[in-house]
Amino acid sequence: MNTVNKKVWTAYWLATAALFAAAVVMIFAWTPTEATMGTVQKVFYLHLPVAINTFLACLITFIASIGYLWQRRQVWDDLAVSSAKVAVLLCSVVLLTGMIWGHSAWGQWWTWSPRLTFSLVLWLLYVAYLVIRPSIESRQRRALVSAVYGVVAFLDVPLVYLSVKLMPDIHPSSIGLAPEMKMTLLFCFLPVTMLAVGLIAARYRLQRAETLSMQQADDPSSNMIAANPAGGFT
Amino acid sequence: MTRVLREIMLVSAKDLRIEARSRQTLGLVAVLGVLIVVVLGLGLGPQQVKSGMAATAVLWVAYLFGGVLCFEKTMAVERHDGALAGLMLAPIDRGVIYAGKLISNLALMLALALIVTPVAVVMFGFDLSAAPLGFVAIMAGGFVGFAAIGTLFAAAVSSTQSQGGLLAVVVFPVSLPLVIVSTQMMMRLFGEGEPLGAVGLTVLIAFDAVYLVVSWLVFELILEP
Repeated sequence: MNTVNKKVWTAYWLATAALFAAAVVMIFAWTPTEATMGTVQKVFYLHLPVAINTFLACLITFIASIGYLWQRRQVWDDLAVSSAKVAVLLCSVVLLTGMIWGHSAWGQWWTWSPRLTFSLVLWLLYVAYLVIRPSIESRQRRALVSAVYGVVAFLDVPLVYLSVKLMPDIHPSSIGLAPEMKMTLLFCFLPVTMLAVGLIAARYRLQRAETLSMQQADDPSSNMIAANPAGGFT
Repeated sequence: MTRVLREIMLVSAKDLRIEARSRQTLGLVAVLGVLIVVVLGLGLGPQQVKSGMAATAVLWVAYLFGGVLCFEKTMAVERHDGALAGLMLAPIDRGVIYAGKLISNLALMLALALIVTPVAVVMFGFDLSAAPLGFVAIMAGGFVGFAAIGTLFAAAVSSTQSQGGLLAVVVFPVSLPLVIVSTQMMMRLFGEGEPLGAVGLTVLIAFDAVYLVVSWLVFELILEP
């Protein structure tokens, strides 16, 4: 990574951290505490933005998977797996924050309500994506199977949504929010989205480096050059 | 059109003939299915077994695991002696191979269901007489979608040097919407005594259509000798 690039990334992460700090201050110092649930309700400011960003990460995996099927270029596979990893991480946060909310609101850590089930199935879909990859040895085959799974998994998401609608619901569909609450919620989207995008980009860079080093290891001619930069066989 | 149908029938008849002669898959999945029913019956205990609705969940578990074994086996026969390369060299469309494999898988799953369902119905005291046709319709809808996805990923995974269980990990999460819809419909049909609504069946058929079309479209990309 060159110096300019490094500086841009440092600035990006510093800005994200600063925005997170501002969001925390807004959540605890400025936004009123909810009447019935108390402080626990504040987890909602993290829950919703992370949930939306989970979909964003899943969408990137879907687009990258289509890209791979279309062009068969390794960069698409690297992007797909990077965003799938971030999607699983974000979905885990959605599930955990949702469980914290649920324990406070309904007295149970888990209920089989439609949205909880939806998040769980989404999480399982993308965990499976990550689990199948190491089982396939050939790099091209792994990328191809993952790309097909990435497309099918994303197309499965609306079906999961439709199917859970048949289940009995206790989850709030719309919540009345005070103006400060709305403002804080909207503001929280900024650092969370920056974190998600930053994580995908960082993971992608690492994935690219891994792929390139693997390709070099596979290719004996490049190995020889690396072992003897002056060239020749001596 | 009739030529395509004949080709599909040729592919699936070949698979079923191999199965009829070797009897490898059906014996295995039938015993596995019965074992799953017995283990869950023992695990749930007499109280929950008699609640009636446990049978549908137990049946789904047996169908899912048995089904995955069927999908693995129907693709595995193509891995011997380069049979898949021969099949791919045949002057037929790849979609025909997919449809043929799908029909063989559905036939095997039907045979599995015919063996396992009566066992579960008797052991779990499930009153099937309330709506037998509804039960068949819901399960048939579930089977088609499940087999559609299973046939696709069996072709993808079987060519890799995979560990056992990989296909189950791939197919189960994708099939969960089918499980959710069919169990919800079963609960309404047998638990609450509601008649089988057109909405539920339409959702199930729509799901099947999505799975079939997507699998058929990408099968060509994934098939490799």
